[in-house]
Amino acid sequence: MIKMKRKSLFLLVMTIMMVLLTSCWSKKELTDLSFVSAMGIDKTKDGRYELTFQIINPGNVAGLQGGGGTQSPPVTIYSASGDNLVEASRRASARISRRLYYAHTNLVVIGEKLAREEGINILIDSIDRDPEFRITTSLVIANQSSAADLVKALTPVDKIPANKIMKTLEFTQRKWGENLKVSFQEVMRSLESPGGEALVSGFRLVGNPQQAEKLDNLQQSAPEATLRASGIAVFKNGKLIDWLYNSPARGSVWILDKIQGTDINVDWKGKKEALAYQTVRQKTDVSIKVIKGKPYASVHTRVEGDLGEVEVPVDTRQPAVIKKMEKAAGKEIKKELQTAIKQAQTDKVDIFGFGEALERTRPNQWEKLKSEWDDVYFPKLDVDVTVEAYIRRTGLRNKSFLSSVKEKQH
Amino acid sequence: MPSFFKNQKSKNKLQPQADQTNNEQTVSSLKNLLSENLTLIKEKTGNSSDIVIRHFKISVNNSLAAAIVYIEGIVDNQAIQDYLLQSLMKDNQKNDLNDQNALELISEDIVTMGNVSFADNWNDLLSSLMSGDSLLIVDGINRVLSVSTQGGEKRAIAESTTQMVVRGPKGAFTESIGTNLAMVRRIIKTPDLWLESMKIGRVTKTDVTLMYIHGIANDKVVKEIRKRLKNIDIDSILESGYVEQLIEDQTVTPFPTIYNTERPDVVAGNLLEGRIAIFVDGTPFVLIAPALFIQFFQSAEDYYARFDIATSIRLLRVFMFMISLIAPAMYVAVTTFHQEMVPTTLIVALAAQRESVPFPAFVEAFFMEVTFEILREAGIRLPKAIGSAVSIVGALVIGQAAVQAGIVSPAMVIIVSITAIASFATPSFDMAISARLIRFLFILGAATFGFYGIILILLMGVGHLCSLRSFGVPYMTPLAPFIPVSNEDTLLRLPWWTMRRRPKLISDNKVRQSKHQKPEPPSSRGMINQEMEEDDQNET
Repeated sequence: MIKMKRKSLFLLVMTIMMVLLTSCWSKKELTDLSFVSAMGIDKTKDGRYELTFQIINPGNVAGLQGGGGTQSPPVTIYSASGDNLVEASRRASARISRRLYYAHTNLVVIGEKLAREEGINILIDSIDRDPEFRITTSLVIANQSSAADLVKALTPVDKIPANKIMKTLEFTQRKWGENLKVSFQEVMRSLESPGGEALVSGFRLVGNPQQAEKLDNLQQSAPEATLRASGIAVFKNGKLIDWLYNSPARGSVWILDKIQGTDINVDWKGKKEALAYQTVRQKTDVSIKVIKGKPYASVHTRVEGDLGEVEVPVDTRQPAVIKKMEKAAGKEIKKELQTAIKQAQTDKVDIFGFGEALERTRPNQWEKLKSEWDDVYFPKLDVDVTVEAYIRRTGLRNKSFLSSVKEKQH
Repeated sequence: MPSFFKNQKSKNKLQPQADQTNNEQTVSSLKNLLSENLTLIKEKTGNSSDIVIRHFKISVNNSLAAAIVYIEGIVDNQAIQDYLLQSLMKDNQKNDLNDQNALELISEDIVTMGNVSFADNWNDLLSSLMSGDSLLIVDGINRVLSVSTQGGEKRAIAESTTQMVVRGPKGAFTESIGTNLAMVRRIIKTPDLWLESMKIGRVTKTDVTLMYIHGIANDKVVKEIRKRLKNIDIDSILESGYVEQLIEDQTVTPFPTIYNTERPDVVAGNLLEGRIAIFVDGTPFVLIAPALFIQFFQSAEDYYARFDIATSIRLLRVFMFMISLIAPAMYVAVTTFHQEMVPTTLIVALAAQRESVPFPAFVEAFFMEVTFEILREAGIRLPKAIGSAVSIVGALVIGQAAVQAGIVSPAMVIIVSITAIASFATPSFDMAISARLIRFLFILGAATFGFYGIILILLMGVGHLCSLRSFGVPYMTPLAPFIPVSNEDTLLRLPWWTMRRRPKLISDNKVRQSKHQKPEPPSSRGMINQEMEEDDQNET
């Protein structure tokens, strides 16, 4: 009985020691962390990497007393350089009073120069290896500027600039479709594909970079320097080779089946861009087959949408009119997809993954075509684009206002 | 086993020796002389001032001296007046009385009271005197007639203060065991409702009554409880908590293994499930055994409300119990270990609040929880009039001043208040208070290991719960061991018509109700036809 008691007491002491001696490893108080919201990567002239950290000042973002946060900026920028990313990140500790914490880094910006000259393949490893970095972090290429300028810029409305960039990408992809929000893991996956092609959205600082980092830039109703989504960067073998803008950009996003809603302008009876067709949902399928050693691709898309604007006098109550409009819209979309494909073919980058589709469906034939796919087969690939467009609703009006006016006046 | 604690001496030398002190009241018989007896009574009761001795003479020629002895305050004065003194002093049949047959005659013919008995030794005599009986002593007879005149001031039946319900009977038990037993008797009208009374406590001689339904309760459990009650040898039982702590299975646990209630309907419901109730005189709290873990989350109202409402409220209670256990621990774990687990905007908001707080999150949480416990404890002790003042001071000091002074963060105040409110949602006070205790363990676990620590302590807790027994029944019963049939009334409360069986492992008699109890109204067409037929008949 006593022996048992002694034994259990011994166990108890051991358990208590086990708990106490661990001394809370990996414990980190909130007040000892600096949350990196965005990180910019540039190349210095002497070939080193320069990291720019956008660090959140919590007190200025979530002000406790009233409307705090206008006196001092919501983020603070630190930068550090090193021969590799880890070194740069460690060196930064000499300048920052707290431990850099990457778990809430939602954005990584890469300078255009670095992306063009050295490529982004070399940057992936350290970011993916780090246990704090999320692979769902968004990746953005600084269009015509250094990553540092983009990271330094302050933004109105969304106080944390990284949030502003992410949300802009998210909503413009959904509402307009000329940009793309890609996460780190998506980029990694597409860089690993046979051709190493990837699409990454671009962001640009409009205005003076010095002005953008000042707080008084935000104290105007129309800030002089702003950030805007601009273009889609095309990567081949990990290097930036081209930018897509306007309709090739939207067409590419469309073929990748990532577009959600956009606006297509349709000509009607000689009047240019007379109808606005707002798409609501679409589904795009890509298939590929090989006939007598020659590959043929087909892109099929099915769009549903509403009429958003009618600038010609037309009675949309008639089914025949709607049918005609659907056809015209389909034609317009087809044109856009074809420009996108043409652009990709001139760049010789298979950003749509036709090669991968072939590899999945017909691995044997892919083996034969693989070596010359990017240079020979893809640029000459016959792509058959079919578009099914439907107009489901015409908004709150049926007849166009112009036609009502016309009827009344005559 | 390494000899770690070698110096420990065996402490088992303290043998119970307290027994001898009080047993001097040897079973000596009474004296013949009235005066001697009365002197002895006075002597034994230390000449206490509340003992009333009324001398009078019976028989025609006033030759037979007699006396009535009782204790003022615990007897029913009216009854003594009307049925004892009146009968004895005004009766006309006194002719035959002599010192041989006096007591028999009186009990058979004169005293118009229900419960009378004879006592011929000092032990019986004194214990019946102390419990409120009146003793009739006649000169020359070495026996005493003890007449049951228990009474005196009692608290009236009032509304339950600890287990309130919106719907359901309002009356709660009182301090009087007789009233309490009667309240249950009134609900369960079957001869199978059996009672066993005993007196526990060498000095207090408290009435303890075992109540169960014969044929539904498990005989083995009844036997076990009876055995454990008989084993109690203590000088006093002041509340049922004494009994609870002396008969429970496992003493080293924060969890209560015996249920207590002050509601007669809860006792009745539990008796009908095969449990056994232990009534203790002097307290409105009745013990119920065996108790299961899930029972502490059931409220009487669950069975009166419809099943969907009852089920969702019960699930809410279990959820609130979890909150009251781990909410502060979660806060500590998130802010010191797992900053990546919450959305960016939330962590930034938390970080902003903690920016000016000088303590680590663990100290902050611990400080706030202790402060709340202090407030709560003080609030109970304080007189009602001041109680509200304390709550105002507490709300101001903790809620506002502490935040403005930058000692705690507003988020912590929110967490503490949620935890506090959640801990009051558990219907059983005993379970809620054990949750409050374990909460600190969770905070400690979270501060050392983060979420891992919380899970570790949860696992330890579940292991401990599964090791508990209540009178041989596993504490977690319908959940572990998992008994699907009995789970109809655990986390869920299925409709009454489906709960055909009593919980397994508790009751011997399994079937509670017959099949086809689901209400089936007649189809509307049928009703219309019936009415029309009735109308036809009326017309003819």
